[in-house]
Amino acid sequence: MRHALPMAQIGPQAEPMARAIGACVHCGFCLPSCPTYVELGEEMDSPRGRIILMKEALEGTIELEAALPHVDRCLGCLACVSACPSGVQYGELLTPFRAYAEPRRKRGVLERVQRRLVLQTLPYPRRLRLAARAARLARPVARVLPTSLATMLRLLPRELPAAQPLPHIVPAEGERRARVALLAGCAQQVLDPDITAAAIRVLARNGVEVVIPADQGCCGALASHTGAAAQARAHARATMAAFPRDVDAVITTAAGCGSGMQEYGTLLLGEPDHDDAAQFAGGVVDVCAFLAELGLREAPATRAPVTVAYQDACHLAHAQGVHSAPRQLLDAIVGVTLIEVPEAELCCGSAGTYNVEQPEIAAALGRRKAVNLSATGAHVVASGNIGCMTQISTHLSELGHDLPVLHTIQLLDRAYARTM
Amino acid sequence: MTLVAASAADVREAVLSTDGPLLPVAGATKPALSTAQDTAATPLDVSALRGITSYDPAELTFTARAGTPVREAAAALAEHGQYLPFDPPLADAGATLGGAVAAGVSGSGAFRHGGVRDFIIGVRLVDGTGSLIAGGGQVVKNAAGFDLPKLMVGSAGRLGVLTELSFKVFPHPRATTTLSFEPLGRDAALATVARLARGPVALDALDVEPTPDGSRRILARIGGDPAALDARAVRLASYVEAPHERLAPDEETALWRDTGELRWAAPGALVARIPVTAPAIPMLDAFLAAHRAAARWTLGANAVWVAWPAELPPRELGDALAGLGLTAVALTGTGGPLLGARRGGAFAARVRGALDPDGRFAGADLA
Amino acid sequence: MNDVVAALGGIGLGDRLLTGPAALAAFSSDAQTAFQQRAIAVVVAETVGEVQAAVRVCHAAGVPFVARGSGTSLSGGSLPVEGGVLIALNRMNRVLRVDADTRTAVVEPGVINLDVTRAATPHGLYYAPDPSSQSICTIGGNIAFNSGGAHCLLHGMTSNHVLGVRVVLPDGELAELGGPSAETPGPDWTGLFCGSEGLFGIVVEATLRLMPVPEAVRTSLAVYDSLEAAGDAVAQIVRAGLLPVALEIMDALAIEAAEASVKPGYPPGATALLIVELEGERDVVDADAARLDALLTASGAREFLATEDLDERALIWKGRKAAFSAVGWLAPDYIVQDGVVPRTRLGEALVEIGRMSEESGIRVANVFHAGDGNLHPLILFDSAVPGELERAERLGGDILRLCIALGGSITGEHGVGIEKREYLPLMYAPDDLAAMRRLRDGVDPAGLANPGKMLAPEAA
Repeated sequence: MRHALPMAQIGPQAEPMARAIGACVHCGFCLPSCPTYVELGEEMDSPRGRIILMKEALEGTIELEAALPHVDRCLGCLACVSACPSGVQYGELLTPFRAYAEPRRKRGVLERVQRRLVLQTLPYPRRLRLAARAARLARPVARVLPTSLATMLRLLPRELPAAQPLPHIVPAEGERRARVALLAGCAQQVLDPDITAAAIRVLARNGVEVVIPADQGCCGALASHTGAAAQARAHARATMAAFPRDVDAVITTAAGCGSGMQEYGTLLLGEPDHDDAAQFAGGVVDVCAFLAELGLREAPATRAPVTVAYQDACHLAHAQGVHSAPRQLLDAIVGVTLIEVPEAELCCGSAGTYNVEQPEIAAALGRRKAVNLSATGAHVVASGNIGCMTQISTHLSELGHDLPVLHTIQLLDRAYARTM
Repeated sequence: MTLVAASAADVREAVLSTDGPLLPVAGATKPALSTAQDTAATPLDVSALRGITSYDPAELTFTARAGTPVREAAAALAEHGQYLPFDPPLADAGATLGGAVAAGVSGSGAFRHGGVRDFIIGVRLVDGTGSLIAGGGQVVKNAAGFDLPKLMVGSAGRLGVLTELSFKVFPHPRATTTLSFEPLGRDAALATVARLARGPVALDALDVEPTPDGSRRILARIGGDPAALDARAVRLASYVEAPHERLAPDEETALWRDTGELRWAAPGALVARIPVTAPAIPMLDAFLAAHRAAARWTLGANAVWVAWPAELPPRELGDALAGLGLTAVALTGTGGPLLGARRGGAFAARVRGALDPDGRFAGADLA
Repeated sequence: MNDVVAALGGIGLGDRLLTGPAALAAFSSDAQTAFQQRAIAVVVAETVGEVQAAVRVCHAAGVPFVARGSGTSLSGGSLPVEGGVLIALNRMNRVLRVDADTRTAVVEPGVINLDVTRAATPHGLYYAPDPSSQSICTIGGNIAFNSGGAHCLLHGMTSNHVLGVRVVLPDGELAELGGPSAETPGPDWTGLFCGSEGLFGIVVEATLRLMPVPEAVRTSLAVYDSLEAAGDAVAQIVRAGLLPVALEIMDALAIEAAEASVKPGYPPGATALLIVELEGERDVVDADAARLDALLTASGAREFLATEDLDERALIWKGRKAAFSAVGWLAPDYIVQDGVVPRTRLGEALVEIGRMSEESGIRVANVFHAGDGNLHPLILFDSAVPGELERAERLGGDILRLCIALGGSITGEHGVGIEKREYLPLMYAPDDLAAMRRLRDGVDPAGLANPGKMLAPEAA
């Protein structure tokens, strides 16, 4: 599509943004993959519609404020990128656009408070832990809170698992095949620390030495994907500083973090440390992709046959293009029957802070996902992102269909340990 | 008085210079279409508008003047192993391509690949303003402009006088065979037809003929590579819970020719064709049986041929069909060309008004 | 204008009457982005009554209206009209019933093409027309533009599969055309309505013909060192009396685009690819396959493969079906043409297009339905380079003129729309066009239904 973006005014991010707009031919192949289009059925809430809105807002032919509600409604799931035959890198338009819009937009007081709360809480384990405890107390009053805040509280587990201190280095078992550094994750460490622990055990068992940098914090993905560019850049720099470079890969277990870190190059475009960021980003690999590539030393087996429905995390399948690796790993577990989920490409509605910002759509998508998952008749749901797992779990129980929802790596871990 | 046209210019002249309505006629094999029912229309004989104007076998298309006998076109195609897949009826009786299009009625062989509407690709006609107009083209795929060729299918000479037609054609099956099954009761026959029509054996024709005792005989024809035919015939038979007989080649040819020539109908009967779907058949069938009208299902129960006894008023058939929400195209007898319900409503009226604003054609009995 | 919006506000659409700048911008074009136009309002209809009410409001006010499904027209068919209302039908997306015994489906106009087949599959049936955009294009749009697809060769176009339609005429009146039977008594009003590009009104319900899912589908992929050799193979297949469901050719540039995009894994280094698909009964496909293989072997194919595996077949088709959008990888802009030539003149047409491409310095990728002579030259250019757009447009026009000169058509399946309306007079004589205008004026005297598409405004 032709455009007339004011390149200089937008800054260094203008190039990738213009490339994405230019590559879009408006063919509409993205529409059936877009959760908001499927739910709302209006062109403004579709990928190609949003591309037009972002383009026109940047060009000044429509007001930024007119475009924003629709851009805000985008989950950033990037299913459209997988569906796009023209190779539009939608994420390279969306993320910089959100950053561009943030300082220019008007937000009401409630929205501001909520946004600050989320961005200042979720990425910080200690604060999140405190908030969760407070939330448990607040649960009885959740009914009178604004919907979005109520949603956030509702998604927090009733009982938080105990904090688990992490070792700094876990040696490989047997002959060492690789050495990696692991992102422990911030919110994940509070909500479900077992994921990181399982990843460490499975990696070590497969001959991988795991370094867990002590002073790591949030990777910045959450901030980056919601347009808080300055905060995202600060997190990115701190993460890069905390991680050793003499490793074969930087491993992530949360799809959102992985995709955020793989975008460090774009995030720091035009900054002096851009090249370093791009190089660092190139070494970031999801744990499943890494293991599938390395190959499992021995196939684990479950104690009893189990049917697993694998639900793609959008930031794994669409943003990182990791589609077959987790399936391969699950398929390798003796005793596991892997089944596909209807509408698998549709986002579950979690999408980072989405279920806080757009609770109605998030809930509709969550319900839709839960219905599709329960229709498969699976015993266990596997996914690759803590946010998705939380959302899916919540909506499955609301449907009265409590299924265990596990990270792929947890399934491997339990099969190895013969606890499943 | 009959006017005669030997060229498109003659047709124009006739349309522009004649007072009162005109009605084109060529082979006159379907008198209900070529005879006006309620006006003293002047017949316009277009049988001299004859001959294939272009045919390249490699194109799988041909163009011919509207008065060209179907038989003549079929013979030219057969020389190159091709045929008219919509199998127009009454070819031996002298039906013309224009008449086949104007009737919009296809033969039993249309079950495989579709009817007239699926094979007409281009048309030239003179409309009620005397304009010689072209629609469609001579290529098999064409989405430019309004689809006048399709509009002419079933137009019964009431929307314009066809002068030239283009069709797509297919290679003729290299071999054919027909199974004739022992008669079944009506409901069993209907269920069997539905099962056969849903596959997997691809049928060239699927007809059901009445037997004197009120049962139904299923006739199924397959065509294709000779090497596969025997196995396919066995397989086809396995889908029908009735014994069958495989017809000898000459018997088979005669059966389908006689069917297409409507030889099963009693002489003098009003022969009409009623497009239906299976659920409508029991009610229709009961009515026809009560009036001793022979009913032959064709196109896998997508149409019923009726031979309405000469001694009964056509109006009775029309009224009954209207009650059932059905419409018949009458080929012979009086009261046609359409009997029963009318479709198209305001759209039909407006289109007719646009093509024949001054009522040059005997169109009142159409919509 | 505000009166119309106010009147539309009175038909109970609630938040489905869109008038904000974002909505109007997002709905300002379909898949033909060379044309953009903002409507004054978008009606997101959910019922026949709403469509009828919106049309009546427009008719009373003398305001033009345009119907839109998923907005995938490549000819600008659903481009809004200046000062007009856009009626979006994509939410009228229910398959109302599938009747296995009569092999029909009744659907609303916003049903996505592929969803008809999804609904029919449990009954062992499917809906044959398969435009490349079938995962998103809607039945209403398919009917309005008589869409084709790769499998038209045997099964025909959309209109061959539409048995009946319920339509809202341009003044809001409802009409029922056709019915559930494969045959229609009397004039084929449904056939005329199909492909009328919205000029006769809006389809609000359609009865579609379903076909039995073929027992066997076998897709062959043959690699040639020249387009001519691939074209010759097509001629031989036709001459041999084989009836494939699809015969498709892609040239080197189109293959490159497909590989860059969806990575179907076509054999490397191919100058031309021929896709041949046979389908039907097991025994028939086997017999035909033996003849086809012998023919392809003798045709000078560098290599060929044949598969009945669902996933492998899907990959072969994925590259073909994504080809249009995939050229986005090769050039910033492209124009896709849809000309038809008699199939025996395909070779001639391709040579001539190659010559014209070289002469103009504009690259052309070729993807085409070789079996029915339907070309899709993809004219690649960069609108940022001064003069390239004009040269590309000129080349496109020259290609259409070539198709007409060879006895073909300016459009096989995309429709005339706004994009090719200037070329319609090259194909039809003034009397032909006058008759089409008479038809249009007869059905829509006020000229409000999708004006400016297919028929260019008459010079005052």
